[in-house]
Amino acid sequence: MTKPHLNMAYRRVNGHGQSLTSKPSHIDCGIHQLRRTGTHNICMVSDFFYPNMGGVESHIYQLSQCLIERGHKVIIVTHAYGNRKGIRYLTSGLKVYYLPLKVMYNQSTATTLFHSLPLLRYIFVRERVTIIHSHSSFSAMAHDALFHAKTMGLQTVFTDHSLFGFADVSSVLTNKLLTVSLCDTNHIICVSYTSKENTVLRAALNPEIVSVIPNAVDPTDFTPDPCRRDDSVITIVVISRLVYRKGIDLLSGIIPELCQKYPDLNFIVGGEGPKRIILEEVRERYQLHDRVRLLGALEHQDVRDVLVQGHIFLNTSLTEAFCMAIVEAASCGLQVVSTRVGGIPEVLPDNLIILCEPSVKSLCNGLEKAISQLKSGTLPDPQKIHNRVKTFYTWRNVAERTEKVYDRVSREAVLPMDKRLNRLISHCGPVTGCTFALLAVLNFLFLIFLRWLTPDSIIDIAVDATGPQGAWTQQYSFSKKGEDNKEISKSR
Amino acid sequence: MEERRSFSDIDGGRLALQRRYYSPSCREFCLSCPRLSLRSLTAATCTVWLVAYGLFTLCQNSMVLSAAIFITLIGLLGYLHFVKIDQETLLIIGSLGIQMTSSYASGKESTTFIEMGKVKDVVINEAIYMQKVIYYLCILLKDPVEPQGVSQVVPVFQSAKPRLDCLIEVYRSCQEILAHQAVTSTSL
Repeated sequence: MTKPHLNMAYRRVNGHGQSLTSKPSHIDCGIHQLRRTGTHNICMVSDFFYPNMGGVESHIYQLSQCLIERGHKVIIVTHAYGNRKGIRYLTSGLKVYYLPLKVMYNQSTATTLFHSLPLLRYIFVRERVTIIHSHSSFSAMAHDALFHAKTMGLQTVFTDHSLFGFADVSSVLTNKLLTVSLCDTNHIICVSYTSKENTVLRAALNPEIVSVIPNAVDPTDFTPDPCRRDDSVITIVVISRLVYRKGIDLLSGIIPELCQKYPDLNFIVGGEGPKRIILEEVRERYQLHDRVRLLGALEHQDVRDVLVQGHIFLNTSLTEAFCMAIVEAASCGLQVVSTRVGGIPEVLPDNLIILCEPSVKSLCNGLEKAISQLKSGTLPDPQKIHNRVKTFYTWRNVAERTEKVYDRVSREAVLPMDKRLNRLISHCGPVTGCTFALLAVLNFLFLIFLRWLTPDSIIDIAVDATGPQGAWTQQYSFSKKGEDNKEISKSR
Repeated sequence: MEERRSFSDIDGGRLALQRRYYSPSCREFCLSCPRLSLRSLTAATCTVWLVAYGLFTLCQNSMVLSAAIFITLIGLLGYLHFVKIDQETLLIIGSLGIQMTSSYASGKESTTFIEMGKVKDVVINEAIYMQKVIYYLCILLKDPVEPQGVSQVVPVFQSAKPRLDCLIEVYRSCQEILAHQAVTSTSL
């Protein structure tokens, strides 16, 4: 009497008309279901998510929102931020798991490759995830999730957000780890062609499985407002973290040189970081307190208010995969002057940007060119620039292209264990390859142990918030279920 | 009206849900776990005693053996009296409040009562528990200062930890009573 009864109860809960006990694995039924409907159950994994602020965080959030809009089910897995742990829902039912894992360094979790498997497996099973999408190569959790997903036989996608060097010890090590992590990943997404080249070289990948999908900005957030700026002076805006990678040392050379030359020139610097002290020194030495304003750390919503106060935007980055800041600035109608590094030349068309070599002299020349254009009035109108830029990078476009990657990946087969081990050993060199092949086998054994401890059939299937069966838009779905349950109990 | 159904808890163990409908606005849900099995009791006792004998052969001190006996006895008593909960009951009376009772294996009972004026809602929530993500039923209490806010979350069936299907049953019944209560209080 109990057995059919239980089946019935499950069926009502997951609402799929499939009794879970009749099939050994939930994931299988999930995949069949999705092939029919063409939507995916996507799990974004990264150490970096809100309330932490940055490019990766907003990328994950915006991409997820647009994918939900297109009818996919999306969940996000990240680590706990202070008091924010457990499960939270964001706008339109985006579900975020803040897992209680220890943070080791720079908001990245410690990795042992194994300790996160029980929780991640539980989440993947209960949410019937079919595609794991990891973000950022700095995130240990993203790599862990990829490793576990491959062990569990799920499709994997990885997005790389940053560029790396090849020469120093730390990059050699991270590149090796990246090779291991990406050699059996189904698909990799980079944000620019430069970034693709970099990733393909670093991880020794087949370029055919690497796609380029740029970042996007929300053009409605970054609108020009010419009356906010003071046209009696020329204002140059710099917004970046004040760290070495962003070329703050160049900026400290530029400021005194240009301030001497142009008495009506002001600087606004937004951002915080260890190099702030250099800028303060410069300001002190040349007595520029009234002309160089250091704003300190900026909230994301304040960035636009700062941008519209300026005429020219200066970016001095030494390395950059895809510079969001210059798109945001151009969207606000500023003339952009930037270094020609990384993926920056791909980002904007030539007439919207002045590219310079990463040296004080070249950047000063570029700025002087922009200033003379501004003074002669040959710069295009901010509104015109905005109208052009807003068509370039939209999140809907990004989501559409990412969806194509998912479609392609879901048709591919996940490497079975023996092929995966072969790939690891042949691809990553004898020592690393064998080590990680051994770890993969151990991980697989651990997974079998966990499956024995808590079989998939006793893991509750989560109620979907988004996706085809999403409960977020269909209100009162519970009361509807209640009615049919009453009928069942009456009929008994 | 009384009804008995069996469910499972989050580890796959068996649970029995007993529902008693006294009146449309008064229901009782009783979740009972299986009693302490002789097998697990024997296993625990044997382990402690075997370790004690091992130590005894090493150090030849008979204190070890008597300590082992005391440890088993006190451990068993403590377990039955403070840890092992045999039965958890949720009694909901529309006009009065919600009473939660847990009966320990030793017969000890602990009861919490929440009056209806303090109850804001009964909901099913998700939480990360050990290496699992589970659903649980909880009572939201009203904040006395701010009527819209929630001051406290009281979990129900904390030791039984039933699965979602069982929780939905209880949830639905509770919601019916709460809705009934809301209708009568507004019509008064």
